[in-house]
Amino acid sequence: MLPAAIIYLSVIVVPVFYSLFISLFKWNGIGEKTFVGLDNYISLFKSDTVFHTAIINNLIWIVLTIFVTMTISLAFAVILNKKFRGRTFFRGFFYFPCVIAPIAVAIIWRWIYNPNTGFINQFFRLIGVEFSQTWISDPEVSIYAVFIAALWQAIGQPMILFLAGLQAVSPDVLEAATIDGAGGVKKFFYITVPLLKDTFVIVIATLIVAAMKVYDVVQGLTGGGPNNATQMLSTYMYSQVFQYNNVGYGTAVACVMVIIMLVVIVPYVSFTARED
Amino acid sequence: MEGKAKKITKKVVLYVVLIILAIVWIVPIFTLIATAVKSKADFYSGTSLFSFPDTIAWSNFTKAITEGRLLTYMKNDLIVSCLKVPIGIFVEALAAFALTRLNVKHRTGLFIFFLIGMMLPMQTALVPINVIFSKLNLLNTYFGLFYVYVGFGISFGILILRGFFKSIPKDIDEAAFIDGCTKWQLFYRIILPVAKPAIATLVITDFLSTWNEYLLASVIINDNNMKTVPVGIMTFVGEHGTDYGYLCAGVLIAVIPVLIVYLIFQRHFVEGMGGAIKS
Repeated sequence: MLPAAIIYLSVIVVPVFYSLFISLFKWNGIGEKTFVGLDNYISLFKSDTVFHTAIINNLIWIVLTIFVTMTISLAFAVILNKKFRGRTFFRGFFYFPCVIAPIAVAIIWRWIYNPNTGFINQFFRLIGVEFSQTWISDPEVSIYAVFIAALWQAIGQPMILFLAGLQAVSPDVLEAATIDGAGGVKKFFYITVPLLKDTFVIVIATLIVAAMKVYDVVQGLTGGGPNNATQMLSTYMYSQVFQYNNVGYGTAVACVMVIIMLVVIVPYVSFTARED
Repeated sequence: MEGKAKKITKKVVLYVVLIILAIVWIVPIFTLIATAVKSKADFYSGTSLFSFPDTIAWSNFTKAITEGRLLTYMKNDLIVSCLKVPIGIFVEALAAFALTRLNVKHRTGLFIFFLIGMMLPMQTALVPINVIFSKLNLLNTYFGLFYVYVGFGISFGILILRGFFKSIPKDIDEAAFIDGCTKWQLFYRIILPVAKPAIATLVITDFLSTWNEYLLASVIINDNNMKTVPVGIMTFVGEHGTDYGYLCAGVLIAVIPVLIVYLIFQRHFVEGMGGAIKS
């Protein structure tokens, strides 16, 4: 256990506290640090509209992943849990996007969304519909366009978790329900879903955490633009620290992320460790 | 008879739904391949994505490898992944063994302590690691990247392995001790081999997340000769932002290694992931 503890302390625990410390300073990364107390946090919450957009975007992302990603991955899992020929193939097929680097996914979708020669607008032209959208460069829709790109990759993981959960649902129980006259939908909501409780907890927790952390796909597709419309806490933190050299300020953004995460962590951890 | 007809209709509907979903799902892959094989000149017409190219533009691939330094990026990524995956799993397995099999005080507390790391955003580590690593001269090194990756993998590894180790009956321990096994032998000879499915899961998830990791690598590495594939691909974008044929060829080549690992370990996947739920 000792090696794990040492590495864990030095890579995760110490940096978190070090970040908390840095976030109390005004610092450009090279020169002297100036102690400013909580000023970084105060200006973030009081006057930084980009930061507000970023928080709202992260919240939108959480809501979208819970409703859209989870629903679709559960539907996929239910379909792929049925017995039919080619099941293994389809499972592998729908999981496949997960193995591609998110940054590569972003590049592929940037091309798909290309207003002139991208797949979507070309497809409309092919079927004869005059319709063209700029997708990711339109601030109104860009966040949803980025989400769709992420969704393509994001369903695999929860789908696998749901599949594992569904396999633990005993067929006997479902059989008994059929004998009692329960229909497919009823069986699903009254038997399968409650039995998947543990799975739901882990899926929701991982999805929220992933939604808070989302970075690669946004950075690769829009870099937070256009005009900060798709700025996330993660991309904003990165640009503050590494592009504008506001190291203290950017680190404060990271610390806000940690605090928001704690809201998720505490209930999840107490659930996971409950039986001990 | 009616029941049978109903069954067949159900099957047909199932396949139709699956095939429609599959077509939607394959769009990005189709785009990737259809773009990678075309030269720039093929892109003038408005629906060029759907037409066959006159000749397959192999130059996209050769250019991605030579000018794009893709082989260097892949070599770097492979070195870091091949260090990180086995060593990381070994370290995690030792910790999970201690948490489930040895008389460690405050087991639950320690487990929670390790679990929290899974939730913390990497952003909190970026600046401190950058500062510490530049003092220790670990920026732009394999070791630096490897060390950070092991650290960020620990939580998930312990979660999966602890769940699996717990499901192995304690009777085995006693039987082993009666036969004169030491604790180390119990770990090495019995627990690890039994935990094969969980380890297979970790190998694949670990390899994928290491191979594909972008944020930490982009901060720790900026030397072109040390870049991993994701950072390297973003460099492509910077240099040839509009040459999509070339970009897509590069992405396609970079996906091949993960595809191989995925195909080899796929069987163990659903079974092993169960460990995360059982915990």
